[in-house]
Amino acid sequence: MSDNKHRVTRRQFLNYTLTGVGGFMAAGMLMPMLRFAFDPLLKDEAGTDMVAVADVKEITTEPKRFDFKVKVKDAWYESEEPKSAWVYKTDKGEIIALSPICKHLGCTVDWNTDKEHPNQFFCPCHYGRYEKDGTNVPGTPPQAPLDRYEYKVKDGKLYLGKAKPRKEA
Amino acid sequence: MKWTGEDVALYERERDYIDTALLPLLPVAFGQGAKRLASGGELVGLIAAEVERQLKGRLFLMPSFVYFADEPRALLTERLADWTNRLRREGMKHLFYVTCDRAWQEGEEADRVWFVPVVPLESMGESYKHELVREQAAELLRFLIGRWAQE
Repeated sequence: MSDNKHRVTRRQFLNYTLTGVGGFMAAGMLMPMLRFAFDPLLKDEAGTDMVAVADVKEITTEPKRFDFKVKVKDAWYESEEPKSAWVYKTDKGEIIALSPICKHLGCTVDWNTDKEHPNQFFCPCHYGRYEKDGTNVPGTPPQAPLDRYEYKVKDGKLYLGKAKPRKEA
Repeated sequence: MKWTGEDVALYERERDYIDTALLPLLPVAFGQGAKRLASGGELVGLIAAEVERQLKGRLFLMPSFVYFADEPRALLTERLADWTNRLRREGMKHLFYVTCDRAWQEGEEADRVWFVPVVPLESMGESYKHELVREQAAELLRFLIGRWAQE
């Protein structure tokens, strides 16, 4: 009798196995879905990796170009992309880090190289111009102000993150 | 602009603004001189890529004009002239070549050829190499911007 009680019936055995296997399959399908759903959240936290670009004491009120590199993945080819930033301090001591990428067609702008328009950013390709704070000069090809890098200062070093478009203007 | 799907799509939208082509002239050989040519080609590639990065909105960096170093010069000149004509017909008002092959410095288009001296890149430190590419690219950049102002 007691033997009979503990014996697993064919029906039970099949039930257990099918539930087990089904569970594995469901988990196998759900896991990637969950990962896709949560991955952007996890990434954002890790994605704030900023790059040390300069010593804060090097920054003056005159825009200065700093070069740095960020890791990029282009299909399966991983490489370091060279980037630059124009960095200066305002009179109030606020740091401004501008992306040198012209908003017109993506050339690299230079500071104060056009003799007729001093103290402006100048694009050599189609003569686009920007004020010192990155605002595009109306009447020149660019239609938007230069992007600004997110930045933070830690231990006397300037760290730059992503370049974000400015909303105003 | 580079020869990539993304850049070509942008080129097709904005082709009025992109009036300059940069064509690397790339000699290849096997056996004697191979290493030297490869080194030179590598440097030309790095410099051209840096210049393209800075002048992206006006300059189209073409895929290289590749040839064997011992091909008959007359045929090469003819083939290059054909490429040049095609590019001009496509609206490239300014056309420049960048190469490590000195032979291009004599010829009809010599004043459009930017010559890059061969240096043994593989035996150079990373930071020195970086500095070299940057300097050379800056020189080529000044040359191009100067020519834009003239032409």
